[in-house]
Amino acid sequence: MPDAVPQNAGFMVAAYITTAVILVAYAVTLYRRTLKP
Amino acid sequence: MKLLRAGRWITAVGFVLLAGVYLRALAFTPVERSQGLAQKIFYLHVPAAIWAETAMVLVGLASVFYLFLKDPRLDRFAEASAEVGTVFAAIVLTTGPIWGKPIWGTWWSWDARLTFTLFLFLLYAGYLLLRGAVADPGARRRYAAVLGICGMCLVPFIHFSVYLFRTLHPMPIVLKPSAPSLPGSMLATWLFSLSVFTLLYVAFVMQRYALGLLREPPAEGGGLHA
Repeated sequence: MPDAVPQNAGFMVAAYITTAVILVAYAVTLYRRTLKP
Repeated sequence: MKLLRAGRWITAVGFVLLAGVYLRALAFTPVERSQGLAQKIFYLHVPAAIWAETAMVLVGLASVFYLFLKDPRLDRFAEASAEVGTVFAAIVLTTGPIWGKPIWGTWWSWDARLTFTLFLFLLYAGYLLLRGAVADPGARRRYAAVLGICGMCLVPFIHFSVYLFRTLHPMPIVLKPSAPSLPGSMLATWLFSLSVFTLLYVAFVMQRYALGLLREPPAEGGGLHA
């Protein structure tokens, strides 16, 4: 009987969301800072 | 300002391509049998780590040349690269523990690779704090250059820490002298992700460099007015 694949999708989802949040947040702060005179 | 506009456009393209990376990694790349879906964190964690380290090397090189040439463009680039490197280091330090928990059974271990990477993040933070704390532009640039060179010297220790010390962190499976130990489809996804992270690094640095230009008086512009 083959070994079962670990069920840890939640960790993957958390990492992907965290990465997207960090990158988008930085892009937004850059955009906002360059708008200020 | 052309540089700023170009940076924004490239950032937008980078985010569209990042969505493509997510799609390819999650839907069109096979699941690794022993680690399960958590292994897919690899496609974000490793490119972010490569750019967190490369950004610091570029800070160090720009700082070395700044100390010789006194060209403010080099200092401005170092400042931009350091800020963007901090962002990538933050991604490494968040995705790493999220990956480590299901695979190692712990969020964090004070082993060489992880500790050096945390040290890199703290060096980035210190570099940015130093720049904000020194009012005199000349002194600020010199002090920051020295710290940037120190940061560059740390990077080889991070990369080779898995060879030099007993560590929980696995050996490199792509950036190593022999061929990458990855199936073709996984390697293609990883290379796609690395390309997108490269594009985002360039786009962010362009915008941050332009922001540095906007903040400086015209007399300190250094010649490259985009």
